[in-house]
Amino acid sequence: MDTHAAYKSRWLPWVLLAPTFVILLAFLYYPTFETFKLSLYRVAFLGLSKKFVGLANYKELFTNPDYLHIFWNTAVFAFFVVLFSMAAGLALSVLANQKVSGWRVYRLLLIWPYALSPAVAGVIFLFLFNEQSGIVNYLLSITLGITPGWLTNPKLAMALIIFAAVWKNVGYNVVFYIAGLQNLPGEVLEAALIDGASSWQRFWKITFPLLSPMTFFLLIINTIYAFFEAFPFVDLLTKGGPSDATNILIFNIYRDGFEYYKTGMAAAQSVILFVAVVFLTIMQFRLGESRVHYGS
Amino acid sequence: MKRLAAILGLSVLMSFSFAAEKIQITFWHAFGGGRTAFIERAVQDFNYTHPGIEVKAEYKGSYRDTLNAAILAAKQGNAPHIVQIFEVGSQMAIDSGIFVPIEDYVPAELKFQLDDYIKPVANYYRIGGKFNSIPWNSSNPILYYNKDIFKKAGLDPNNPPKTFNEVVEACKKIEATKAAPKCITWPLHSWFVEQWVAEQGALLANNENGRAARATDVYVDSEAMKRIMKWWKGLYDKGYYAYTGKPEDWDGANQLFVSKQAAMEITSTSDVTFMQNASYENGFELGTGFLPVPDGIERNGTVVGGASLWLTKGHPQKEQEAALTFLLWFTNTENMVRWHKGTGYFPVLNTSVKVLDWQHWFTRNPAYKAAFDQLLQSKANRATQGALIGPFPEVRTIIENMVQEIFQGKDIAKALAEADAKADKALKDYNAAVAK
Amino acid sequence: MGKLAKKRNNLIVHVLLIISVLIVAAPIILAFIFSTQTPAQIFSYPPKFTFGTAMLDNYRTAWNQYHLGVYMKNSFYIAITVTVGKTIVSFMAALALVYFRFPLKNWVFTFILLTLMMPTEIIIVALFEMVTKLGWSNSYAALIVPFLASATGTFLFRQQFLQIPTSLVDAAKIDGAGPLRFAWAILLPMSLNVVAAMAVIQFVYMWNQYLWPLIVIRENSRQVVQVGLKSLTSGQDATNWGIVMAGTIIALLPALIVFLLLQEQFSRGFALSQEK
Repeated sequence: MDTHAAYKSRWLPWVLLAPTFVILLAFLYYPTFETFKLSLYRVAFLGLSKKFVGLANYKELFTNPDYLHIFWNTAVFAFFVVLFSMAAGLALSVLANQKVSGWRVYRLLLIWPYALSPAVAGVIFLFLFNEQSGIVNYLLSITLGITPGWLTNPKLAMALIIFAAVWKNVGYNVVFYIAGLQNLPGEVLEAALIDGASSWQRFWKITFPLLSPMTFFLLIINTIYAFFEAFPFVDLLTKGGPSDATNILIFNIYRDGFEYYKTGMAAAQSVILFVAVVFLTIMQFRLGESRVHYGS
Repeated sequence: MKRLAAILGLSVLMSFSFAAEKIQITFWHAFGGGRTAFIERAVQDFNYTHPGIEVKAEYKGSYRDTLNAAILAAKQGNAPHIVQIFEVGSQMAIDSGIFVPIEDYVPAELKFQLDDYIKPVANYYRIGGKFNSIPWNSSNPILYYNKDIFKKAGLDPNNPPKTFNEVVEACKKIEATKAAPKCITWPLHSWFVEQWVAEQGALLANNENGRAARATDVYVDSEAMKRIMKWWKGLYDKGYYAYTGKPEDWDGANQLFVSKQAAMEITSTSDVTFMQNASYENGFELGTGFLPVPDGIERNGTVVGGASLWLTKGHPQKEQEAALTFLLWFTNTENMVRWHKGTGYFPVLNTSVKVLDWQHWFTRNPAYKAAFDQLLQSKANRATQGALIGPFPEVRTIIENMVQEIFQGKDIAKALAEADAKADKALKDYNAAVAK
Repeated sequence: MGKLAKKRNNLIVHVLLIISVLIVAAPIILAFIFSTQTPAQIFSYPPKFTFGTAMLDNYRTAWNQYHLGVYMKNSFYIAITVTVGKTIVSFMAALALVYFRFPLKNWVFTFILLTLMMPTEIIIVALFEMVTKLGWSNSYAALIVPFLASATGTFLFRQQFLQIPTSLVDAAKIDGAGPLRFAWAILLPMSLNVVAAMAVIQFVYMWNQYLWPLIVIRENSRQVVQVGLKSLTSGQDATNWGIVMAGTIIALLPALIVFLLLQEQFSRGFALSQEK
């Protein structure tokens, strides 16, 4: 951490950090603490009244098979979303980074889903993948003669929301990977070229390691995305169905909290989600920081 | 001269103070689309004809978003006066404690209007003998069907199926003649299940559907339910029933029917206008009929769907009365006629129905007739009064999940029993949470 | 590489790009086609891939009847303010974390990163209570201030700074430049591509907010674009999806324009190799 620490001022760093501290404390830490506190209560209507129940909510979460099923769904979903988003993002950014004509247009068209509101994205996917009259099944029926039940089949439904979440997020990875690729020191790549290395070797032995700071960053961000930001897709495409097959934690938290007004349970689930992601992030830092090459 | 100036000055001051005298009322609703403009115009109309009151209507997202925003605002002591709440949220609204029964604030000279609501609607929204909220947009499920497909299948285009078996028979013919890829569709929504339960005269909860006292037991595992599930699963297994896979997918069902992929659709009467336009555009003749009911029973009637307008507490008496003045004006005879003509929702006053009849509205718009007749012919009893269940949204999801499990092969009796247990638990937890 | 081989490579890249773009962009092409159709045309089968008849009507209605212009103006103001503010605040925080030695540094970094796991949606009820206590109900302050600090931004700038050779900061010190001058004259120009990327991400994030503005803002005229877009849908009966798609396309444009404008910045590589 201190590799670049060149300055010795005792007070300046704290001044620089002050706005961040104040805002994060007041608007993130404090509300989070208040929210987590509610997990120890049985709450009615978003907090209009509450009764202390200790760990009852947590007990329910860990003994009710329905909730355990949700934890599993969440893990599966997150794993695939992170994997595919990063892989596709890397591949597409390498492609989009090539010096071909019209690169501006290509890049824009690859990144635009990121700008689309998730709610609208969900609606469009719903129309696209309608089993009877959607375009995807129309094309599949005239080319392959099949009409999969995207939303009626539990496995396909999960595949669909994974695809939708990846599709929406790939642009984010492309933006950053391109920024990373543009930052690569030109002479290292030229040297490899002169050495006669094939593009594949060049990529994996040189480019990818040099991109590792970006990969590290994106891995964390993508993990956060997969756990916290996929709510609209489930809400608009499957509502957690069929029969809870696509119910992931963030969706259930939202539904328990804002539709069923089981605010205490929603808070307990939020705590669990928080702890799980913190744990994952710590792991990523432990494993990652040592492998990341910071160029200098 | 001085006197004149003084008088002028005083009158200017007084006019300012009169202007400042306007009572400000906020009204939150969940009507997007073309309805927002309609509501805006009505509100402007009211403000213009009632100079002492100024109503501001705000769109607040979906039903769920609107209720949440209202609760959060009330927590801060800053609730809007009027909130639109979906019908099955009634028990929740009462339990939240942020609303007051509107009947307590109706100005004496307007009390007559409360007697004018059509019976099924009045029944639903009268809780404990008085109106807790003003009924506004009310709807029913009806059967829409494609007359052209019927003709092609050799079915009588003017005689839609009226019972479960008749639906199956019609589907057999449609499949045999390949008149349409699928026979029938409707959103996989618990609302339809509740309607079929009511049509059989059965209850959904104890304590007389939660109307005589707070419900403590949900009746998911009942004969009535079994009948519905058997029929529905039969339709699904034979490929007659189609749906998109997403629960509560109103648009998906519409898409299937309008694109002629299904011969029939059961959905809300609030879509009549849309259906008329869409069928015309896509070139087929639209027919409407009553909700098909189980065989061998006497048609009991349907439960009113939609939403009503609630009044929040914590405002001075003058403001409450002004809010009620607006509400009753908004839903009075003429405005209800206009509302119906513009949106297709029921005009919930008897006098409005009389006006429409007198204008021969139903002869000129036969698609609306089925909706009306079905509602007006509903018997008035606990079943059609509709259940009052606190955690209704959660119970609905439990039922919808259950249906999907049945489709995937779960034994009906087992599925009903398990769903019943889940629903009862949800109710128990809810009642514990709101117990004082 | 020979000229022919280069041309063939070029072609392959183009083909791959076009396929990728088709997959990725298919939904927006579809949305655009829908925006020209009537509801019945949208719901037809086989699906109509051709343009419909309601284009002018849909766009005109979406713009005029639903006041999208007003909402977009409000969103624009909020998005720009947050983007600028957040970039500055995160830049400062990363500067402190990378170029200074001070105690508890790891704890500070962890403190900042943990907030990544505190998304608005989960804490929204308590957050609403907080801003109401501050008297910010119905104000833009509530929409802007809570978002002025960023773990993502700090993290990103940190990663960027760590890639800049220490020789540069040593050289700056020798030249007598203090930390702020170093940051302004050297760090900032070398991080512009990250600034640009952050700007796009933050702008989009603020532009796409729905739930928070919905409960904070109580007057339609101050509302933001996503709430406005939602009002095009009719929750209770059949929505006119043609108009909704038209509104969506309109609402999508500013974010895309921001990206187009900032694309040049992404493409700026390190000045490092030339600087020598």
